[in-house]
Amino acid sequence: MRRIPLDLLLALLAGLGLGLLYSWVLSPAQVVDSAPVALRSDFKDQYRSAIAAAFNSTGNLDRARARLNLIGDTDPIEALNAQAQRMIASGKFNKRTRSPRLPLPSRRETLSPRRLNLQRRTRSQRRSQLPLRVKRFPHPQRKRSFTSTPEVSPTQTIIFESTPRPTRTPIPTLGSPFALNGQESICDSNLPDGLLQVLVLNPKRRQLPGVEIRITWDGGEDQFFTGLKPELGNGWLRISS
Amino acid sequence: MKSNRWVFIVLTLIAGISLGLAYGWLIDPVDFFDLTPDTLRADYKADYVLMVAEAYRASQDPGLAARQLAVFGSQSPTSIASQGLDFARANGFDPSDIALIQELVTALQAWSGLP
Repeated sequence: MRRIPLDLLLALLAGLGLGLLYSWVLSPAQVVDSAPVALRSDFKDQYRSAIAAAFNSTGNLDRARARLNLIGDTDPIEALNAQAQRMIASGKFNKRTRSPRLPLPSRRETLSPRRLNLQRRTRSQRRSQLPLRVKRFPHPQRKRSFTSTPEVSPTQTIIFESTPRPTRTPIPTLGSPFALNGQESICDSNLPDGLLQVLVLNPKRRQLPGVEIRITWDGGEDQFFTGLKPELGNGWLRISS
Repeated sequence: MKSNRWVFIVLTLIAGISLGLAYGWLIDPVDFFDLTPDTLRADYKADYVLMVAEAYRASQDPGLAARQLAVFGSQSPTSIASQGLDFARANGFDPSDIALIQELVTALQAWSGLP
C-alpha cells in the first residue's frame, strides 16, 4: 500500500485552510433569503406586533399561530406576553400595537377586572362565531393557498356586541371578579419598609398582567398595574412606600 | 523530476482551496443571526406585507402601515407593498389576500402622492 507523501498532504491541508479562511471569514456567503427566525430581536418584536395587528383585524388564529411559529420562539405565548409587558413598561403601548395576549384597548379605561371579563366573553364569542379554518397554514415557500380572510362587516360587529348567539362555552356570570385568597405579613430585615406585593391569578391559577389595582390610604389614593416587573412574574405588583 | 513534484504540490494546494471554498460556501456556510428584515426571503416579505394589509383593513391608517413597512429599509413603503402584490399574484395567493394587498398599495399611493 502506497503512503500519501507528506508534502502533498500538507499542501492539501494548507489549501483547505486557505479555502475555509476565505469562505468563512474573508468573504462569507451573502445573506439573502433568510427566515424570520434569524432576525434581530427588535425586528422579531416588530414581526410579532404585525402578527398581532393582523390577528386583531382578521381573527384568524390558525394563521397567527403559523406566523408565530416562523419566529422560532420556544414558547410563542410567553414571548408575546413578555413583549406586551416590555411595551407597557416602556410606554409604547397603544391601541394599534396591542398584543393578542393583552386585549385591552387602553391602560386607564379598560384595565379594570370587570372590563377584563367582558373582553374575554367577547373574544370567546368571536372565536365561536368567526369561521376559523382548520386548514393548515402552508410554508410560505410552497405554493400558497391562504385561507380567506373573514369579512367583518359592520352588521357582524353589531351582532357580536348586542345580540350574541348561543355559544358552546358557558359564559361566566359577572360578579365580584377577584377574591382575596390570602394575606401574609413578612418580617424580613432584607426587605424595604412598607413593601407591598400583590399577586393576581385567574381561576386557572395563571398570573394576570395588566390588571388595575387601586390602593387607598389615609389622605390618598393611587392606581397601579400588575405585570410591570416581568422579572417577578406577569401577575405581580410590587410597590413600596 | 523535482519540478514535476512541485506541480503536484501546487495542484494539491489548489484542490484543497477548492474543497475549502466549496465546504465554506455551499456545504456549511456561515450561519447568520441578528439579521435585518431586508434580508428576508421574498415569500416572507410578501407575507409581512399581507400582515400589514390585514392590519390596515382594521386601522385604515396608511401612515401606520407605512411605518410598519419601513422595516425593510431604504425602499419606499409603496414599492415594498407593490413588490408584495406582484409576488402574491405570481404565486397564487388567495384572491381575498391579493385584494387586501391591492387595497394597501392603493392607499399608500394616495397617501404618499406617488402614482
